[in-house]
Amino acid sequence: MAETGEGAGARRQEAAPRWAFARTTAFRLTLLHLLLTLAGTALVGGVAWWVTAGFAARQAAQEIERGMGVLMRSGAASGLRGVALSIEARLAADRTGQEYYLLAGPDGQRLAGNLSAAPRARGWHEGAIRLPDGGTAPVLMLAAPLPGGGALVVGRDLSAARALEERLLAVAGWVAGGVLALGLAGGLLIGRGVARRAATMEAVLAAVQEGALERRLPVGAGGDEFDRLAARINATLERLQGLMGALRNVTDDIAHDLRTPLTRLRQRLDEAAAGADPEAIAAAQAEADRLLDIFAALLRIAQVESGTRRAGFTRVDLSAVAESVAEVYAPAAEERGQTLHARIAPGICLPGDSALLTQMLANLVENAVRHGREGGRILIELSPGELRVADDGPGIPEAERERVFQRFYRLDEARSGPGSGLGLALVRAVAELHGLRIALEDARPGLLVRLTLPDGGEAGR
Amino acid sequence: MKILLVEDDPETAAYIARGLEEAGHVVDRAADGQDGLFLATGGGYDVMVVDRMLPRLDGLAMVRAARAAGVATPALFLTARAGVGDRVEGLEAGGDDYLAKPFSFAELLARLNALARRPPLQREATVLRVGDLEMDLIRRTVTRAGRRIELQPREFRLLEYLMRREGQVVTRTMLLEGVWDFHFDPRTSVVETHISRLRAKIDKGFGRELIHTVRGAGYVIRADG
Repeated sequence: MAETGEGAGARRQEAAPRWAFARTTAFRLTLLHLLLTLAGTALVGGVAWWVTAGFAARQAAQEIERGMGVLMRSGAASGLRGVALSIEARLAADRTGQEYYLLAGPDGQRLAGNLSAAPRARGWHEGAIRLPDGGTAPVLMLAAPLPGGGALVVGRDLSAARALEERLLAVAGWVAGGVLALGLAGGLLIGRGVARRAATMEAVLAAVQEGALERRLPVGAGGDEFDRLAARINATLERLQGLMGALRNVTDDIAHDLRTPLTRLRQRLDEAAAGADPEAIAAAQAEADRLLDIFAALLRIAQVESGTRRAGFTRVDLSAVAESVAEVYAPAAEERGQTLHARIAPGICLPGDSALLTQMLANLVENAVRHGREGGRILIELSPGELRVADDGPGIPEAERERVFQRFYRLDEARSGPGSGLGLALVRAVAELHGLRIALEDARPGLLVRLTLPDGGEAGR
Repeated sequence: MKILLVEDDPETAAYIARGLEEAGHVVDRAADGQDGLFLATGGGYDVMVVDRMLPRLDGLAMVRAARAAGVATPALFLTARAGVGDRVEGLEAGGDDYLAKPFSFAELLARLNALARRPPLQREATVLRVGDLEMDLIRRTVTRAGRRIELQPREFRLLEYLMRREGQVVTRTMLLEGVWDFHFDPRTSVVETHISRLRAKIDKGFGRELIHTVRGAGYVIRADG
């Protein structure tokens, strides 16, 4: 069910590849970034406004207040007449024509100034003044009542401040437009790039899903998050391919190597059925047991190779394991006239699975006992960083050393004896699970199995 | 013995029940975990055999619930799973022993006997005796008919394991697990060689044999022939 769902999703994406980038995370993030940048630009613009155009308007207001103060004082000193004279003098002195005044008597009549009418209320006002040339000018005005009756209005032309504001607005608009355009273009570009890389990954993974397990994602040299992700996915695919291979091997092995004992079992049962011969029945039972053993060993190897047992690792005293295995096999070796020497350094530990490590070492020693020379020597040696098991038997020819780890692989000389050819396969699986490097070497004469501990083992307590 | 068998596969259940009844035991059967738990809490069983995978209530949960309800009856788990970790899980849930399918009937019988006869509270004996064979657990010495016998530490443990189960059949796998902590079946006959060495020291030159081989099952130590 999951598969059909994914298939539909893939088709939907293929239907509109042109706008695929608009749905990418990169594009959305760019948009968000763009909004933030615009907000920042607006903030900067606001501050610029406040210190420039705002400054001009504030300066006009200050001048108005100052003029109002001076006129009020002259009013207090010499009455309406004095104020009127002051206003006339100021207007005469104002060459720029930016100052505006109005002095009204108690009856509202205009006594002096260049404004035609006073605002109705006191306080600050802004208005437009019709100029002699027909245009209008924005004016800021302050109206105040006079102590002895009447009112005084002082104003300033705001044209310059307003012009500055307009220019600032225009510039801000252009800047915002530019930022928006650049941001959008950048977002599209990045989104497209990301979409392209994601599409590549998707295509490769789709191919893997279809069965091309050997395909891998391209990993750039940049080491960015995409490269790291690709590297991780590649490692996962590597493992997947390994597991699939292992599964296929097990299936092949079962098909090839279990057919023989099953056929034998079938023959024994035929014999037993024909004569009710207890010996044939016993033989059939033994054959069935052998098959069950092989299944158990195969399952155990598969379980070890799957790596799931790593979760249950504890600190294992490898020295104790080696001592125990040496002790268990010493009598068996003696029965074949062999002497088993154990040189085991104490307290060498590693994180691992005690039962599996015991079985691994037991398999190695068992091999040495079975394939070693009768009356020969077997050596179990554990030193910091290395575990060695050696015999002085015929050894394994160099060409065969890699293949003996394969399931069901048996040397020609061993083919006639008992054994399933699974012992070393398990040894390697357990070694790999524990990060031990395993090497088969020539003990001159004999076989030396050398296991290198991951970090030399730790000294135990 | 009165044995509770909780197994959902009718063929396996019939096979085990038949074998146990032939061996002279009384067997009650349950086909799922809930019936099993009901019977187990009813009490009166010497030992119970519980399959790991059961309908309604799996074996682990059943034994855990029985233990919580104060049922102390020793439990042996049967399992079709070959995993090493499963055994630990079973013991942690309150199981006392663990046997992987397929098993030989002799193996099951020997283990059930060992479980049922295990004293509920192991009062530590300091001296074990079988006939004229004597083991001093404190001084770690062994004598037979007053003659001192020198044993290596592992031989001592092997003999102790046998003597603690005097008269009971002990299988190869029980010895591998109990004496050497080997949870797999070695191809080499390690148990046989250890037993024959032990025999050479214990029985050789003493007229009557104490360690006996039970064909198709294992070994037993006993004084009477």
